[in-house]
This record gives sequence, C-alpha cells and structure tokens, in this order.
Amino acid sequence: MKKVSLSTTSPIGLAIAAVCILGAIGLGVYVSRQDSAYPSSDSGSIDAEVVHMASTVGGRLIALPVHVNQAVKKGDLLYRLDPEPYELAVHQAEANLALAAAEVENQKRLLAVKTANAAVAEDQATRAQTNHDLAARTVERLKPLAGHAYIPWQQYDQARVALNDAAISLSQSHQQADAAQIAIGDLKSSLAAQQAAQAMLDQARYALRQTTVVAPTDGYVTSLRVKEGEILAPSQVLFTLIANDAWYASANIREITLPAITPGDCATVYSMIDRRTPLRGHVESIGWGVASLESAGLARGLPLVPREMDWVHVAQRFPVRIRLDPADPRLLRLGATATVEIRHGEACH
Amino acid sequence: MLRLSIRPFGISSALLLGGCTVQGAPSFSLVGAYFPDWMLCGMIGIAAAVSLRVVFVLTGVDAILSLRLFTYLSLGVITALLTWLLWFGP
Repeated sequence: MKKVSLSTTSPIGLAIAAVCILGAIGLGVYVSRQDSAYPSSDSGSIDAEVVHMASTVGGRLIALPVHVNQAVKKGDLLYRLDPEPYELAVHQAEANLALAAAEVENQKRLLAVKTANAAVAEDQATRAQTNHDLAARTVERLKPLAGHAYIPWQQYDQARVALNDAAISLSQSHQQADAAQIAIGDLKSSLAAQQAAQAMLDQARYALRQTTVVAPTDGYVTSLRVKEGEILAPSQVLFTLIANDAWYASANIREITLPAITPGDCATVYSMIDRRTPLRGHVESIGWGVASLESAGLARGLPLVPREMDWVHVAQRFPVRIRLDPADPRLLRLGATATVEIRHGEACH
Repeated sequence: MLRLSIRPFGISSALLLGGCTVQGAPSFSLVGAYFPDWMLCGMIGIAAAVSLRVVFVLTGVDAILSLRLFTYLSLGVITALLTWLLWFGP
C-alpha cells in the first residue's frame, strides 16, 4: 500500500476540508436551535395523585375486603372499623336528647303553672284595687257625718284604718303580680339544652359513619401491610390509594428552553415500561418554584452565602406537568421512568 | 469509476440509517441503565469517521485531502448530527 503523505496541501483537499468544517458548524447551530425549540427530557417520571387512606376516628380494624395492588372503584368499601363504641355513643346521645326533650316538656308545664299564678296575682290586684276604692269612698262619705257628730268618731276612725289596710294590700298585690309576671320566664335554656343534645347526637352519628371507609376515587391500593385486628389511631394512614382517574408525566426542563413551552402543547411521552409505545399528553402547567441551595437557610436567619468563584453555572430545571390521555394501564405506574418530547414525537404528528 | 461510486455512499449511509426510523423512546436500555439518544449518535459519528478514514485510505481519496484531522472530525460530526436529526429530530 502506498504511504500517504500527511503534509499534502492541494486546493481540492482544502476546499473539501472547508466544506466539511462549515457544514459541521452550520448543522451544529441548526441542531442546537431545533433542540431548544423542541424541548425534551429523558429524566421524567410517570406521576399520579395519591390519597393516604385514613379514618378520622380510631378503633379496631374488623373488615378489610381489599388487598394490596388491587384496583378499586369509587365508592367501594375499603375497610371498616369496629362500630360498637360509636354505636354506644350514639345510644348515649339519643338518651341525652330524650332527656333534654323531656326537660322541655317539664318546663312547658311549669310555665303554664306560672302563667296561671300570674293571672291569679293580677286578679288579686284588681280585687285589692276595688276594696281600696270602696274604703276610700267610705272614708269620703263618713268624713262630713263625723264632723257634724251624726256618727261616732270611732266609726270614722275604723273606716280610715280600713282604707290604710286596703292601700297596703293593694301595694302588696301589685308587687305580687309583678313578681309572678317575672317568674313566668321562658323555655330558652331548656330548648338550648335540647339543641346541644341534638348536636351531640349528630356528632356521634357522624363518628359512627366514619368507621366505614370507602374509596374516594378509582385507584390502586398500595403499601397495605396489615390485616384485620390491627388497632388504628384516629387519622392513622392504613394504606395509600393511587388515583386512577388522571395520570401525569413530570419532566424537568431547563429554564432556557422554557419559553418554548406553553400550557396546552402536545407532548409525546414514553413510559420506559414499554419504550416502543408513545403516549399522547398535553402540557398542563409549568412549576412556579423550586428550592435551590443558594436560597437555603433557616427561616428568619441570615442568608447562607458560600464563598466561591464559579464561572460555569448549570441551568436550573423546572418540573413541567403533562396530563396524559387515557392509555394502556400496564404502562402507567407511579414513579416509572418517562421520556418526554414536547411539541414533537410520534404522538404529536 | 470505483472511487466515484464509493464516495457518495459514505454520506448517504447516514440518510439510509435515518430512513429506517426505529420507533420508540429516544433513550436506550443497556444492562438496566438508560442511555440518551445523543450518546448513540456520537458513537455512530465516531464509527463513521473511522470507517470513512479506512475507506478513503483504501480507495486513495485520502491522498487528495488536506487538514485530515479536521475533515474527518467534521465528517463524523455531520454524520452524528444528521443521524440525530433524521432519527430523533422534531
């Protein structure tokens, strides 16, 4: 084989070199622009919303018809706590309500009695007034007769004493009538006690209903590791339900390519469970914030500023949330690796 | 005649490769790890540059080239970028 000289300089060779170098640079610029205009990420993940299933009341777990990794429908029974203590509480509250209702009846009767008493006292006052009027008229009549000595002075004196008596009786009867009127009172306190008992009963019934937990949405039961018999505290999480009504892909996209993304853009998502099946989705939103080490520090403390002289700064990435169209459920697992292509890819043609 | 028929083959190899678009994610699984598409394109570019060098030396095209390092580097880069554009590009 002929030895090739490395020092050959021919015009044709230089021209070829120039064309190749310029072509490479031009293509490089074009590709980098395309890459910025059509962002993609291979570090995304399949995402879904979860519900940490717990009851607001505690107790012993007596029924658990679901098992781990089972698909459930909205409204399905997930588990049931021992309702007995809560049934007893309901009975107690019902008894308290009955007691309060009886007390209201009692108070009504007392009120009727007091009203009658007040009427009697009012009549007494009227009678005292009539007596007083009679005594006054008697004194008026006897006064001239006693002045002319037609009647004994004693008789006139007795009439004046009777008038005085009648005045005192009238005053007393008025006071009694007022007191009786005040003593009537009302049913407010017993009605309020009845309402309080009713509220307690509603609360007890609510607590009883909370012993049955149903699925709030379609989903998959995960991280369930206990059986019937377990005792749960109020609000203690028994398992996690992965909501199956909406699936998302979350992809971290560099901030310099974010302007190319707007909510509603088509996206091609590959779940790496099967890298050949494209899933179609649409950009729902772009994360508004991420925590960065530069801004780390205690709240109310002084800012933490490291001494450094960095000349190269790696671009920050923000999570872009993509809502997936309905797809094969076998490809959708929370946390699966996803490759995301925004505004291009097979699903977006 | 042989030289003329072989020369365009090197450039069109990338086009041929792009033509048989492989469906799927731009991420490749290898022993449990995912490798990005650009890494594969880079490998193809390196392989193209090396094979072009071999082909050109064998056919004698190499003799008329100058600035060979830059020429082969550029050819490798062009192959890699074309592969990416045709295979994974938008």
